[in-house]
Amino acid sequence: MPDAIIHTERLTKRYGHARGITDVDLEVRPGEVFGFLGPNGAGKTTTIRLLLDFIRPTSGRALLFGLDSRRDSRAVRRRIGYLPGELTLYDSLSGVELLTFFAHLRGLPSIDGGRRVAKRLDCDLTREIKALSHGNRQKLGLVQALMGDPELTIFDEPTLGLDPLVQAEFFKLVDELRAAGRTLFISSHNLPEIQRLCDRVGIIREGRLLAVESVSDLKRRAVRRLELRFAEPVTTERFASVPGVRELAIDGLHLSCVVTGSVDPILRAALELRVEDVISHEPSLEEIFLAFYGNGVSGGPPPDAVPTAGAPAEEVSHAA
Amino acid sequence: MLRSVFGKVIHDQWRIVLGWAAFAGIWPAMYVALYPSIGAIGELQRMLEQFPPALREFFASSSLDLSSPEGFLNMELFTFVAPLLVLAYTVVVCGGATAGEEERGTLDLLLANPIPRWRVVVEKSAAFVIGTIVIGVGMWVGAAVGAAAVGVDLDLGLVGQAIVSSLLLGFALGGLALALGALTGRRWLAAGVSLMVAIAGFFLNGLGALVDWLEPWRPISPFYHYISNDPLTNGLDPGNVLVLVAWAVVGGVIAVVAFERRDLAR
Repeated sequence: MPDAIIHTERLTKRYGHARGITDVDLEVRPGEVFGFLGPNGAGKTTTIRLLLDFIRPTSGRALLFGLDSRRDSRAVRRRIGYLPGELTLYDSLSGVELLTFFAHLRGLPSIDGGRRVAKRLDCDLTREIKALSHGNRQKLGLVQALMGDPELTIFDEPTLGLDPLVQAEFFKLVDELRAAGRTLFISSHNLPEIQRLCDRVGIIREGRLLAVESVSDLKRRAVRRLELRFAEPVTTERFASVPGVRELAIDGLHLSCVVTGSVDPILRAALELRVEDVISHEPSLEEIFLAFYGNGVSGGPPPDAVPTAGAPAEEVSHAA
Repeated sequence: MLRSVFGKVIHDQWRIVLGWAAFAGIWPAMYVALYPSIGAIGELQRMLEQFPPALREFFASSSLDLSSPEGFLNMELFTFVAPLLVLAYTVVVCGGATAGEEERGTLDLLLANPIPRWRVVVEKSAAFVIGTIVIGVGMWVGAAVGAAAVGVDLDLGLVGQAIVSSLLLGFALGGLALALGALTGRRWLAAGVSLMVAIAGFFLNGLGALVDWLEPWRPISPFYHYISNDPLTNGLDPGNVLVLVAWAVVGGVIAVVAFERRDLAR
């Protein structure tokens, strides 16, 4: 497809045995915020580094803006902003110096674009990078990626190490870039983050792209484990027929179950009684893979043979 | 200064290079300044003349004539100290040119910019050449100041040529370090192996003068091309210059080709 921003055809990179990616077919459209979701080691960074020509495919190819990622790498990189996953900056430079250096390498007339983003993120550009905290370095990483207002920005785990306030500011920034028609490619192992930011999401596991879904589909099919504590003992009958509820287990005051899709029906049913506590577990990536794709990951080992990687289950507790 | 990869190296290194140049200048200044006050020079000379000629060759390819300041400098400075001062810089910076950034993890960020990989190698190498020349100038100025201070009559043109010869030796082994760094992505491996090659070359050249069967192998040592012609007495020999330049150029070309082709480590 010629008008795709990113288009990969059976993109494959093998290193020895386990790592690498196999036959990845990706399609990122202009103006979309594309999430690339997978546990650590699934091949997200490998894919990104292939796009940027840091490593070369074993087979297959990648086109960006219709240009070959290898042959036309320079022209491709001219149009991309990039935040690496494990960000290392030049310690001896200050933020201003780093931006000045990169602006020259990119042929930008000034670092004003960078200064604007820095102001948004409250990033101090005057200090030497070696004196910055991890979070401030991450901010500077975002600033340099967005400095030239690139057509495509690739973020590899952008919110790692950002405090919640800066994270919120970053989310707003992404929304603005989306509104301005920029294309964003965001890799993450964090499902809620992808759901919050992205239009579509590619799910990668063990080097294979399992599926590409719209985020709304993903939400509709989302599973979560829900635990409720009541003020009085409850019976199974009351909840057995609630839509979307599986694995219902009731033990006196305590109910636990797995909900697919909206939690609205079960909460409505629960609120007919006195609820003392609600705990909702965000599913881990492995649970999502299981729920969505069963064990049928083409050729991969069964999930229980795979160490559980990715986001730990997040818990949100609300005292009633 | 931060307009290019070349400028970035200058920005990062100018203090270190100036400091190293000053340090490197102390040695020739010291040796030249000490020369007139070494009263026992005649004694030393007589002792050296007792040495078998082959052993004298080991120290320098010259005739070890201590009756001139040039001869004294040849033995004390240019046999070992001057090349070491230059090599310590070229081998370390060239070994780390690409491999240093690769190991630290800054290379991805640098190459996300629209610059070709070969330019990183070429621009950094160009900056290292400047740095090496500054160190050479430091040594020459040291010799000149030392000579002026104690009124020794030293041929500064020949001293310059001998220093240039040591810089060329630095470029030759720097080229090797550059290539090894680009091939392996490991800076200390690149610098370490290059330094070992330098030391092996030093002994091959020195022992080649003593041991008959080693003699034909001396030309594979870069030290042979650095010193065998005795540039402090005879000036630079174009053939030897060419060999050292070839070492550097071949190393640079291998570095560019390897770095263009390789998967970069993260």
